[in-house]
Amino acid sequence: MERQLIISVGREFGSGGHVIAENLARRFELPLYDYNLLEHIAEERDITHEELKRYDEKPKSRLFSRTVRGHSNSIQEHVAQMQFDYLRQMERDGRSFVIVGRCAETILKGNPGLVTIFILGDMECKVKRVMEKYGLSEREAQQMCKKEDWERKYYHNYFCPGQWGDSRNYDLSVNSSRLGLEKTADMLERFIRTRMQF
Amino acid sequence: MVAQIVAVTIFIVMFALIISEKIERHVASLGCGLLMLILVFGVCMHSGSAVLNTLNVGSIFTPGFWYSAGETSESPAGINWETIFFITGMMVMVEGMGRAGFFRWLCLCIARLVKYKAVRIFITFMMMSFVLAMFIDSITVILFLAAVTVELARLLQFNPVPVILAEVFCANLGGSATMCGDPPNIIIGTSLGYTFSDFVTNTGLIALICLVFVIIYFYICFRRELGSGQTDVQVSSLNPGDAIENKKDFTISCMIFAVTVVLLVTHAQTGLTVSTIGTVIGIVTLITAGRDAVVLLKKVDYKTLVFFIGLFVVVGGLEQTGILEVIAGFIADISEGNAMLMIAIVLWISAVASAFVDNIPFAATMIPIIKSLAASQGVALPVLAWTLAIGTDIGGSATPIGASANVVGISVAAKNGHMIGWGRYCRYMAPATILVVLISMVCIYLRYF
Repeated sequence: MERQLIISVGREFGSGGHVIAENLARRFELPLYDYNLLEHIAEERDITHEELKRYDEKPKSRLFSRTVRGHSNSIQEHVAQMQFDYLRQMERDGRSFVIVGRCAETILKGNPGLVTIFILGDMECKVKRVMEKYGLSEREAQQMCKKEDWERKYYHNYFCPGQWGDSRNYDLSVNSSRLGLEKTADMLERFIRTRMQF
Repeated sequence: MVAQIVAVTIFIVMFALIISEKIERHVASLGCGLLMLILVFGVCMHSGSAVLNTLNVGSIFTPGFWYSAGETSESPAGINWETIFFITGMMVMVEGMGRAGFFRWLCLCIARLVKYKAVRIFITFMMMSFVLAMFIDSITVILFLAAVTVELARLLQFNPVPVILAEVFCANLGGSATMCGDPPNIIIGTSLGYTFSDFVTNTGLIALICLVFVIIYFYICFRRELGSGQTDVQVSSLNPGDAIENKKDFTISCMIFAVTVVLLVTHAQTGLTVSTIGTVIGIVTLITAGRDAVVLLKKVDYKTLVFFIGLFVVVGGLEQTGILEVIAGFIADISEGNAMLMIAIVLWISAVASAFVDNIPFAATMIPIIKSLAASQGVALPVLAWTLAIGTDIGGSATPIGASANVVGISVAAKNGHMIGWGRYCRYMAPATILVVLISMVCIYLRYF
């Protein structure tokens, strides 16, 4: 039986982390899970995924949510838990995959086949990429980067004991602005193949 | 003055900690309770007697705590041990009933009785939610009711969200009808010396009138969403008998529940206090559970009990320093002695506050205030008490975070893939809350003025 390989890619907004994750999924011939995770969950549970999508990777609002005997009214929290459960189930089933974000480095921690990566980037590069992708002005792109990163950080840090982007929580933290996306993916592929030999 | 400032600061910190959920609410209330004892009573007031009065342990060893000889009396300030004893006993009993499959059995029986028709399920489940919440805590009621609703909705292909929302509202409304329905009522009843029948004949009557309007309101709101339910599907998996885990346990738990209802309804006549009733039903449930007694004890929500104890100490601190009398004086000034205006203020402030903050600390804080208002302004204390009970119990329905039942209902729905956000929730529940508070206000005015 082939060894299980799970590649978890955390990323800053605009760093190209998603593109790198897609690249790695192609190279290792693995399925990629990102926001499409909710489509799979919705299909299995026979519910509409559109309803879930707007709460994907969003932080819980402390002011507008309350917990009673372990029950919470926060939809963000429920959507996150659904994704965590789905990831754990895939892990138990022995499946290999690439997962973008969704606290996977913590949720699947302890799995010997797990490789955890965090992609960051220089602000100028991130802003440039966001401007091109979304057709925004520099100021708008900067604001979008800040907002999205704040949400990811808050979301991550609510569910995980470790801090989002803290290099101690990942096998490797890489600044994609140094080598570019393709060469960063090359480097990560070598790292993962070496890791798989152990 | 310093003691008052410190007491208010501790109270605000406790509220902020509860809302922020940075630490669990029982830790927040107990920690702030300890601070109140040390800083306010110890450092500021140098009063050992205030500490003893607030801890109130001595009250447990008085005969009046267990038997009131046909007359009920007001509890002294501080920890309301009657509430703690009663809630503990009820928690044990409800755990026993849940384990025996009582709630699921009841839901499935009613669904079968109405021939699995979506609209009939909608209406009967609303009524069942109301009636169960009169005697059992609304969290347990909604936990079981919402779970069965989702199951029925999946089989009968109707949208469970309208039914869950209506059940939540009716659970909160049913809780207002009796002394043991909602924690604020238990605290109000035991603190001011009211009986079960006092509540039923006052808040119960108002709640029943409101229930009629609520059923009509929700039916108008949701009739289209429910219309698509199918009834020709296979429902053989919904046999009520299958819900019963153990026939012996089921029979015993039904009997204990029936005896509890009888004891509560007649406690003014028998003289048994709610603390005695709670203790007896708790012990009987544990004895009949046999080896499972330990499991039942472990399932008791100790955190809520600790939360109550801490809360009573904090509110006791506010009371001892006289700050609540200042607030009562402020309300009296605004209303200029007009009793009807005073009632309106207490009702709407209670309702609005309970829509956003936990209604238990709010009610506990308001009790000394209405006592002070009654003493200084000559307004009948019972009328203020019923107003406070209705305001705090019903107001909580308006928002998703207003009452425990709302949170649990939303959570059960979400776990099954039905997301109820603030917008969707408030669109139906806030107008219903306003409607019920208005009807209640009219009822209070018509009956007591």
